[in-house]
Amino acid sequence: MTTADIARDTFDVFGTTAVLLVTVPRAAARARGIADDELASVDLACSRFRPDSELAVLNEAAGRGPQPISPLFADLLAAALRAARLTGGDVDPTCGRALVGLGYDRDFAQVRAAGDAPPRLTGPVGPVPGWRRVHLDRVGRRAWIERGVQVDLGATAKAWAADRCAEVIAREADCGVLISLGGDIAVAGPPPEDGWRIRVTDDHAAPPTAPGQTVTISTGGLATSSTTVRAWKVGGRPVHHIIDPATGEPARSCWRTVSVAAGSCTDANTASTAAIIRGPAAIDWLHDIGLPARLVRHDGTVETTAGWPRDDGPGEAA
Amino acid sequence: MTWSQSRRAAGGGGGEVPQYDTPTAGAARERDSGVRKVSRLTWRCGLAGVACSAVITGALAYHADASTVAPHPHHQSGGIVIPATPPQPSSGSGQVNSGAS
Repeated sequence: MTTADIARDTFDVFGTTAVLLVTVPRAAARARGIADDELASVDLACSRFRPDSELAVLNEAAGRGPQPISPLFADLLAAALRAARLTGGDVDPTCGRALVGLGYDRDFAQVRAAGDAPPRLTGPVGPVPGWRRVHLDRVGRRAWIERGVQVDLGATAKAWAADRCAEVIAREADCGVLISLGGDIAVAGPPPEDGWRIRVTDDHAAPPTAPGQTVTISTGGLATSSTTVRAWKVGGRPVHHIIDPATGEPARSCWRTVSVAAGSCTDANTASTAAIIRGPAAIDWLHDIGLPARLVRHDGTVETTAGWPRDDGPGEAA
Repeated sequence: MTWSQSRRAAGGGGGEVPQYDTPTAGAARERDSGVRKVSRLTWRCGLAGVACSAVITGALAYHADASTVAPHPHHQSGGIVIPATPPQPSSGSGQVNSGAS
């Protein structure tokens, strides 16, 4: 099938933009219905900004023992704990309190609209409590967090939702599918003839001509993390949403943007976030585990790893 | 009388305390006391070695698990999964952007 056969749908979700592409146009409506259902379920399970979410209930019950959870929330929490384990704790779900301290305690559009706000916490935040203080009993469908822990699943939930949507749509609508949730991309089913064509850039909402590189993928996922987009000011200080667990502060990285391709969007996003936090050490880490990645420094110079295609385009000034 | 002669005289049963009745008895007691001390020390060193090995093994296992060295096979059990094929070069605009949100 060719690009001309692909149906496209764009909609808002999780405070960002979703793009849904399917290779069988008649399956588009069915695919959108599946995506809407899946994403609504994920939002209800793990939104940090909904008092009725399972995540909000769990955070409220910190230090009060096991809480019953749904199978979906168990999967989401397991994905976050797996990301923490795979990155030696660099992608840690216990950064909730640090984010609240930076004023990120509501939908990001409201954070940005609030402008330069005073800090919610005074003094240094310090290291996050650590993912080992989050406990999950998948068989018993219960979870508990220790006193003082606040969980945020923002580093993995969106990518996990993309993987889930792609998998279910491909199976139930019987088509090839690409879904992008704010630039976290998962594909499943038979791809177009030449693969799915993706522009890798700083901002998922950038125009097609934005500086970056175009690549194709046929399976798995591709995700990009950046310190330049979900950024705001607190007390006159520029901050962003990628928290370094060692300090509880926004990561001070040599990379402004990292894109990674992996076997799933969740793994791609785990690695791209960890790479931002690890800084220069990310290059050897990505090489060692064989992950194709594209890392952009603040001056626009680019490094690639493990089979990511060479970038012969012009440099990218920040 | 030697220590072994003394044991035989006493019936030779295991665990019996040897008796000495010669002028060399004091020296023999010293020797046996030394043997027991060396034996105890050897056991303690052995146990300490086993404990240290267990601690080091545990620490290394934790570190290996945490840093997830998952080299190239596509599906490394529990590790980050690399793509079946790396991204391929293309040109022009994309069907969709991958960027931060």
